[in-house]
Amino acid sequence: MKNGSTVRYVLRLAVTLLLITSVTGALLAAVNGITAPIIDSAAQAKTQAAVAAVLPGGGAEISFTDDTGMVQKVYASQAGYAVQVRADGFNGPVVMMVGVSPEGTVLAVSIVSHSETPNLGAVAGDDSAQGRAFRDQYTGMSGTLAVTKDGGQVDAITGATITSRAVTEGINAGLACVAGLG
Amino acid sequence: MDLKKQLKEGLLTKNPVLAQLLGMCSTLAITTNLFNGLGMGLAVTIILTCSNVLISALRKAIPDQIRIAAYVVIIAGFVTIVDLLIQAFLPDLSESLGVFIPLIVVNCIILGRAEAFASKNGVLASAADGLCQGLGYTMALVIVSAIRELLGSGTFGGGLLNGGEGIRILPEGAAATLVVMPVGGFLVLGCVIAGAQYVSRKLQLRQRDKEAAK
Repeated sequence: MKNGSTVRYVLRLAVTLLLITSVTGALLAAVNGITAPIIDSAAQAKTQAAVAAVLPGGGAEISFTDDTGMVQKVYASQAGYAVQVRADGFNGPVVMMVGVSPEGTVLAVSIVSHSETPNLGAVAGDDSAQGRAFRDQYTGMSGTLAVTKDGGQVDAITGATITSRAVTEGINAGLACVAGLG
Repeated sequence: MDLKKQLKEGLLTKNPVLAQLLGMCSTLAITTNLFNGLGMGLAVTIILTCSNVLISALRKAIPDQIRIAAYVVIIAGFVTIVDLLIQAFLPDLSESLGVFIPLIVVNCIILGRAEAFASKNGVLASAADGLCQGLGYTMALVIVSAIRELLGSGTFGGGLLNGGEGIRILPEGAAATLVVMPVGGFLVLGCVIAGAQYVSRKLQLRQRDKEAAK
């Protein structure tokens, strides 16, 4: 008798949990079914916009070889290439899109995502005059770049040398990758 | 059910952030501008109200031994639903809150209210409790973010007003970046908690005087 009621009790625990998890699972599947296409298309539109920001007209994804391990994706069109690069910033990865002309000069740079310090490193990606000036200075440069502190020609953002270095290294990786495409 | 009392407790005397000191991690991490504070506060309010209602409705069906497991599954379910909806329909908010939306699962406020209130009270009272505690959390977040944004970036309503730039109040360069960094989060939160305790104590004393006068 006592054994029977223990079994029933344990079963009750298991069945209650099973019911709760199944209902939750079914509900999550339903919500995911609705939101997944919207999230996907938003992510795609965002990538296309990021490509178009550095390469007028956008481009199609192509395969590539890369020695630095920083290049994530390469898009190409007649106007040149857009290279998505991930560099190590001050607080974490800085993902940027580098537009490169067929001649191997920088067309434009845009920061896709970062987690840098607000008002310091974050300036590299924001819309302030200082941020725009920082990104625009790369336009037309080629070869191997470095910030002025390291003997190069890139003016770092005040108080954010590490972020500036990360962006510069990312651009170097992008330029090298395009040079490697021949 | 005493809505007025619950509201007063949620907003001030038992405010989840300012009196119970729950959910500190998200409070310190995301309060850098008004949009983040408001978005996070509303997300938590919705999740807290929903989970309180469901847990209260199921409180007699859930055996005691597995209640924590059941609560966590219910809470995680609501958090994931809200996370997916925010990703789909409010991508900007999703980007700036990042990992802190999924982390609401482990926010002590939600499990704390489930255990302390919803598992012992009726559905309506639990809904009111979720709403009041959520509003208290939102209010604390909004106050802290408004102060940090004003002193740290010199703006008001960043991410929300004036095309996302916020309305500039302090001149550029006058803002102290320290305040938007983690250190500033601790400093501002400490001051806000002190202020809330002061007001709370004043109210308490006044009520005691009133009762004594009777």
